[in-house]
Amino acid sequence: MSFLVFEDMVKYFGKLTAVDHISLSIEQGEFLTLLGPSGCGKTTMLRMVAGFEQPDGGRILLDGEDITQRAARKRPMGMVFQSYALFPHMTAEQNIAFGMNMKKLPSEHIRKRCAELLELVDLAGRGRHYPHQLSGGQQQRIALARALAVEPKVLLLDEPLSALDARVRVSLRNEIRRIQQQLAMTAIYVTHDQEEALAISDRIAVMAKGKVEQIDQPEEIYRNPRTAFAATFVGTTNQFTGTLDSAREGLCRIGNQLFQIPAQPTLADGAVVLVVVRPEEIALHATDEAVDTAQNGRGNYLDGVIELRTFLGPFTRFHIQLSEQGKLTADIPSRLVEGYTVGHRVQVSFPPEACQVLPLDQASQAASSLLEVEAI
Amino acid sequence: MATTVSPDRSQRRLRFGVDTLFLILALIYLLVPLGAMLAFGLSGDSLFSSFQKIFSDKDFYNTLLTSLELAVTATLLSLILITPTAYWVQIRLPKLRVLLEILSLIPFAVPAIVLSLGLLEVYGTPDTLTAIFSFGLVPLLSGPPFTIANTPPLLACAYVIISLPFVYRPIDNSLRALNATVLTEAGQSLGANWWNIFWHVILPNIWPGMISAALLTFSTAMGEYTLASLFGIYTFPNYLNQVGQMDPHEAASLSVFSFILTLICVLAIILLLRRRADAAGSEGGSEIVAIK
Repeated sequence: MSFLVFEDMVKYFGKLTAVDHISLSIEQGEFLTLLGPSGCGKTTMLRMVAGFEQPDGGRILLDGEDITQRAARKRPMGMVFQSYALFPHMTAEQNIAFGMNMKKLPSEHIRKRCAELLELVDLAGRGRHYPHQLSGGQQQRIALARALAVEPKVLLLDEPLSALDARVRVSLRNEIRRIQQQLAMTAIYVTHDQEEALAISDRIAVMAKGKVEQIDQPEEIYRNPRTAFAATFVGTTNQFTGTLDSAREGLCRIGNQLFQIPAQPTLADGAVVLVVVRPEEIALHATDEAVDTAQNGRGNYLDGVIELRTFLGPFTRFHIQLSEQGKLTADIPSRLVEGYTVGHRVQVSFPPEACQVLPLDQASQAASSLLEVEAI
Repeated sequence: MATTVSPDRSQRRLRFGVDTLFLILALIYLLVPLGAMLAFGLSGDSLFSSFQKIFSDKDFYNTLLTSLELAVTATLLSLILITPTAYWVQIRLPKLRVLLEILSLIPFAVPAIVLSLGLLEVYGTPDTLTAIFSFGLVPLLSGPPFTIANTPPLLACAYVIISLPFVYRPIDNSLRALNATVLTEAGQSLGANWWNIFWHVILPNIWPGMISAALLTFSTAMGEYTLASLFGIYTFPNYLNQVGQMDPHEAASLSVFSFILTLICVLAIILLLRRRADAAGSEGGSEIVAIK
């Protein structure tokens, strides 16, 4: 049996269904991220695990034991909050010691453990500082140490990096991952930042409107999203809505053009689909060059005009206005972009294998329409 | 050779002059009446004769002690009643906060004389309706052995009521500034029960609000006259009024004494507050203390 199990979890807030019959399981030592936009239910899930919210249905099993009705303070969880939640009147050391004091552990043990944890979070020597004397990143490290001090079975992290600046976020997320792996701690991490989720998770549960859209390893979610929402929320995407001309042969009509896509044996001809292509899968060609490539007969070729060019270091992002299919984003290695400027007429291409094809039902259409997809 | 003053320096001199001028004017406004009162008080038969008469009067000590007891009781009762209530409402019943705010403002609308007559009526001759609404508490307290009407305990409770606006607001503001909900959850996640969270996490952080509340309640109770008169309890303000009718020099001296006493209490409270704030803000905090 898995270490932490959610069985058919339900939570309502008035008429709103915040968590809609979610079941999932987490293995011991796993780092699971709940990823989704605001209001998707991810924080509610976390708070139910912590005991701050009572579910309206379902069970939570920890190591085979039902903890659903157990008070928060009696659950073997440690929590790191978005706002750090350090006790302002206590030093860093006293904050870390708080949980151990509640357990009435011997003073010497507390002292020793505080020193170890300060060392673990790289803040040895800062034990006597008060929270207001520490930076945001340092405060969050102390909060992490405080959560670990009580030796929890599960570590809960509620958007712990949201309040920090970008540079600190990157370094601290790696620190959190390092510590989690070092301690082999089971962790549930909540975030709306897809980059964070992809970087540090063993598995990601992509959530929308109280449901889990897909739960999988980061690479799998990125390369093979199983729903339109998962495809559009994780990573930057180009999306085209089309109709399957031939599901068996992998032909999809988008606008007036026939696209080559992977064969879709499970779908029927005429099905409306969402074709998703990642920007890094797109190649850029000068229009005179395109004549030669078209003769190979394989691949999808679209004409367009460069509207915007953004240098992002190792790659350059182009926003291209296509002749027929709207706008497209392409990420091209910067060493290959010489000569392509704004206003330049170009041809873009991508192989059939780069296309992720998702059936586009009404629900997925609604979910997709709610997102701000970074195509521009 | 003429010295030139840079524009910045001359601006600073001007600001300094204007600031100091206003400060001096404010001090004059506040201190001159006090000084005049003191001078009048000392201008009796001999220099300190009025103070000698006061300090040799038994009623002075008795009434001062009564007022101090009432003020301290009212202050403690207010804090004990309002602090956990405000905390609980914030954490568990946020929708009731509006009701609590309205209740805390009602004493502003109720004159002291109305309050005292109401209390005397309720506890003096309780009827069936009062018994029902109070779940039997009022008849219990009205009869023997309590017989609470016209007694100092009831007066202290009345002081709690009139101080409600001054107690609830600073404590509630402190709780809101603290984000008490998140800190409570943090405490719970670390295994603390409600009492430990309240005592070790919440109270130390709303101390300034509690000090403000205590200050206002104490000074209100010390200077309250109407309720005490109607209750027939001989407090320090009543003594002050009585002395004033007999000897204006003594009354003036007493007023100055009362002012100084209140000032000492206020300064002591402020110093206590500042000491706690300094201790919290200084580097090198205290050793880890095992919370027993």
